[in-house]
Amino acid sequence: MEQELREIVRKLLEEGAIEYFIGYAEGVEPLHTTPCFIERGEQVQALVWSPLCPYNLARYLHQMKDGAGKVGLVVKGCDARAIVELVKGNQIQRERVVVVGIPCQGQVDLAKLEDAFEGVEAVEGKGDTFLVTVGEKVHSVEKERLLREKCFSCRHPISFEYDFVLGEMSPLVYGSESEFAAVEELERLPVEERRAFWRAQFERCIRCYACRDICYACYCQECIFESKAPRWLEKTTTPLDNQTYHLIRAWHMVGRCIDCGECERVCPVGIPLRRLYKKVEKEVEQLFDYQAGMRVEEVPPLVSFQIDDLVIEESS
Amino acid sequence: MVSDKEPTILVFACNWCSYAGADLAGVSRLEMPPHCRVVRVMCSARVRPEFVIAALSRGLDGVVILGCHPGDCHYSEGNHYTRRRALLLKELLEHVGIEPERFQLRWISASEGAKFAQTITEITGEIEALDRRREPPPEG
Repeated sequence: MEQELREIVRKLLEEGAIEYFIGYAEGVEPLHTTPCFIERGEQVQALVWSPLCPYNLARYLHQMKDGAGKVGLVVKGCDARAIVELVKGNQIQRERVVVVGIPCQGQVDLAKLEDAFEGVEAVEGKGDTFLVTVGEKVHSVEKERLLREKCFSCRHPISFEYDFVLGEMSPLVYGSESEFAAVEELERLPVEERRAFWRAQFERCIRCYACRDICYACYCQECIFESKAPRWLEKTTTPLDNQTYHLIRAWHMVGRCIDCGECERVCPVGIPLRRLYKKVEKEVEQLFDYQAGMRVEEVPPLVSFQIDDLVIEESS
Repeated sequence: MVSDKEPTILVFACNWCSYAGADLAGVSRLEMPPHCRVVRVMCSARVRPEFVIAALSRGLDGVVILGCHPGDCHYSEGNHYTRRRALLLKELLEHVGIEPERFQLRWISASEGAKFAQTITEITGEIEALDRRREPPPEG
């Protein structure tokens, strides 16, 4: 699949169809990949693809605004929905993006992998298993043991928006678990316990803004959290300001979050952010029958309304 | 909040209906609890949900948005957007442990002075009851 990807990219670059291509390359540390930008045909050997490519490369499409040409990139199912949302939000033009879709076989959780094996050299997805190469040996491991949490409940591993497809469009769907299971578990708690749970989470936040910076949907020229007048947050990380930060961010995810899970992956203190954004996603789906990133023509839920929307209960 | 402290409730009232309704309640000399701080906005849709989040996170006891009845918006459709936002925001706040009573959206027209007084009385009561149950928040 890597070879196929390199050939497509080489062709696109040599024909001049795109200015550059955004893909994954080997990272500095073993088992880590890094986003890379390929500008010339001879560089394509750097491109890799494996179940260890977590980044949502749609994050880098904002830079396109500066140029005039086309940009190519490789996407998993989740990342492709980000492209749909960016088009919907008038951030990019679909015709300026060349999308290479990969039927995602699920992404490996690096922490789980490192717990299970030492000295792993490569991981490959195959059917229901991951093939883990350690030295000379190849271990076949059930996917459930190594998958990232978000991949368990992935509903759309294939991209709807693509110009090229690698391999066959026959991805695995792990329908075993409801994607909102973690959210529903919290919903069952009494309100005081939920408050205590989130307070403990927000207290640990150091407000490094990594969750914002990695998020494809955070493309405001001036972020609300950096505005000086009005100033929404103080510089210090008090629990209450942290709560303001996370709630406002969750609010800005309404109808945008495509659950790439990057925020949670990059969080240095391990706040379960997906449980916050998934809640928003769930309510948007239930109240307004809307899922982010499905179709370019759809209108986002908060810029539209219906006369017979659910009526706020009047107690008087 | 500590139980003997009186609550502070932020009320956003739309200029065309609810603020006039509040005015009518005032000139009619209707009695109501004095814990509300009314902010006049041009439309209930002017109230960014961020306002509500910031107010509640910073220690206000409740936020109420008052707007024209659906269909009566001075700008035709502002309150329809507000309604969608409020539905969603309530769910989000409840998810992190902020009781739904602390954020409410009500419709009050310019002629409903009595309803304004009644709504404020009712909401203040609900929030006072919550504050009595709730332990003091952490410093900061």
